[in-house]
Amino acid sequence: MRPRTLTAYGFLTPYLLIFLAFWVWPIISSFWMSFLNTRRLPWTFAPQANWGRLLVDPAFANALKNTLIILVVQVPVMIALATVLAVLLHSPLLKARGLFRFAFFAPVVVGEVAYAAVFRLMFNYEFGIINKLLALIGIAPISWTSNPTAAMALIIIAVTWRWAGYNAILILAGLQSIPQDLYEAATLDKVSKTRQFLFITIPLLRPIILFCIVLSIIGTMQLFTEPFLITNRGGPGGATETLGMLLYRQGFLSFNFGYASAIAYTIAAIAMALSLLNMWAGKERR
Amino acid sequence: MSAIELKTVRKSFGVVDVINGVDLAIESGEFCVFVGPSGCGKSTLLRMIAGLEDVTGGDVFIDGKRVNAVEPGDRELAMVFQSYALYPHMTVERNMGFGLSMNGMAKAEVDKRVTEAAAALQLQPLLKRKPSQLSGGQRQRVAIGRAIVRHPKAFLFDEPLSNLDAELRVQMRVEITKLHRQLGATMIYVTHDQVEAMTMADRIVVLRGGFIEQQGRPIDLYRDPDNAFVAGFIGSPKMNFFKGTLRPDGKVGLAESAFAPALSSRPGDNREVTIGLRPEHFEIGGEASVALTMEIDLIENLGGNSIWHGRLSSGEKLLVERRGYHDQGLGSSVQVSFRPDDALIFDHDGKRLR
Repeated sequence: MRPRTLTAYGFLTPYLLIFLAFWVWPIISSFWMSFLNTRRLPWTFAPQANWGRLLVDPAFANALKNTLIILVVQVPVMIALATVLAVLLHSPLLKARGLFRFAFFAPVVVGEVAYAAVFRLMFNYEFGIINKLLALIGIAPISWTSNPTAAMALIIIAVTWRWAGYNAILILAGLQSIPQDLYEAATLDKVSKTRQFLFITIPLLRPIILFCIVLSIIGTMQLFTEPFLITNRGGPGGATETLGMLLYRQGFLSFNFGYASAIAYTIAAIAMALSLLNMWAGKERR
Repeated sequence: MSAIELKTVRKSFGVVDVINGVDLAIESGEFCVFVGPSGCGKSTLLRMIAGLEDVTGGDVFIDGKRVNAVEPGDRELAMVFQSYALYPHMTVERNMGFGLSMNGMAKAEVDKRVTEAAAALQLQPLLKRKPSQLSGGQRQRVAIGRAIVRHPKAFLFDEPLSNLDAELRVQMRVEITKLHRQLGATMIYVTHDQVEAMTMADRIVVLRGGFIEQQGRPIDLYRDPDNAFVAGFIGSPKMNFFKGTLRPDGKVGLAESAFAPALSSRPGDNREVTIGLRPEHFEIGGEASVALTMEIDLIENLGGNSIWHGRLSSGEKLLVERRGYHDQGLGSSVQVSFRPDDALIFDHDGKRLR
């Protein structure tokens, strides 16, 4: 190896050591752990104890179902909303643009606990503003945290509120990179604004929207904060327990690290599979 | 009836006046070139005709109809942009037919028009490609094709050749000129390159600071400019300008010489003027009647002709263009001469004295 290259690796060594010890090793180690029965000491090699259990565990099936429902409803709704928001934020008619952009991005900056507390207050059965507003239009109060369907809706609303602005800012960057003269050319060709949006804007935003969808799939597969903090640890009765919650329960409440590792790998595999599927489906046909 | 007519058209962006009252009539089938330095308002004027910019004052007419409030899409004009503005996600074929099919034209008719335009522009082998798979010149041709299929009332070109390399620029210049002859269409072409203006235009409109400085046939602007700006802008290499004095006897003093230019009137007393002389109007030696001494700074040999850079005894710079290859010693002095009739005289404010 050339001395220059060696010197570079010399400087990189402290980082690489930490990277190996705290990043690469845990990944390998947890993969190995997923094959061990960790319910009692000593840990023994027993693949069916974790991987086999995944197939028959009703708690896992429930968490997987909940996670996928949230994913299927929340991601498309949020991306559609983010696209609309981005177009509005891009509009030359909008005044105080910087302020609005900050406002929509702000939820990402707000601490998770504070945001969860505010949502719990807003959706409180007796005192929450949401039920008060519903009452104004003649809808009976909804028990957001004790009705299973309402609790799922609450999770979806909360996650959407938190991440729609973030995705809108990403999509806005994509919008800004579309040259203005494409629209001018289309305008001279008598193509209506709606058709310009459908036939020029959307196709050109495709890569960035795809990117947002992949990010959202990964994020939602790991969903933990909202069911933990807003719907009382996946309540009512596990109705909003996600894979992230189940992993937490198994790893840090039951200390069953082997099973938790298997769940973690399952989450990663599903997220990766869905993302690849999505990228394949969204690829431009040549 | 003129195809396109502008009547005291003005444009302001906030407090900045970009177009200050332009009157212009472009005849049907004419190739009209707007030329001027950057910031002169030529692109803005074109975009106002297209409807992409609102008109602050005055009126725009197309085929005799006032179009100030008519949407760009309803003006039936086609525009070729400097950046080409091709839709990156569509094939060449789709790029050209997009506007037509979006307006409900039958597929067979769209295909027919696209095929015709592709044939005229030698684009047939490229129809299935995306813009990213084309060279600059090919993209330019697609952009022109997209305009042709529309069968517009007029073609608008906004600096279409600026992004091409020198060789392609010359080639596309010829192609667009041929296309104009072939289609017989009205074309308005914006450029900052006076060579494009000279070689392509039926009529050149020289703009500066939102005003028309002069308009006319290229050769008329070249030979008979109204002012020093047009004289300096049109022609390459540039016209030489010298300070001189127009005397009551009708003669002009220039460096060590004096000559009688072709002027119809004489001033009452001495008057400071600017003398304009094209580089090709000089001869080396004293064959023509007015002789000057030039010290040679540099000779640019282009092969077929050469451009001599030098200075007069007064220190003023001078360009002389000659046929053939020359290898004179730098720093040496030569005598150059010109005919008094070739000299153009401009007043202190740049106006031509005739």
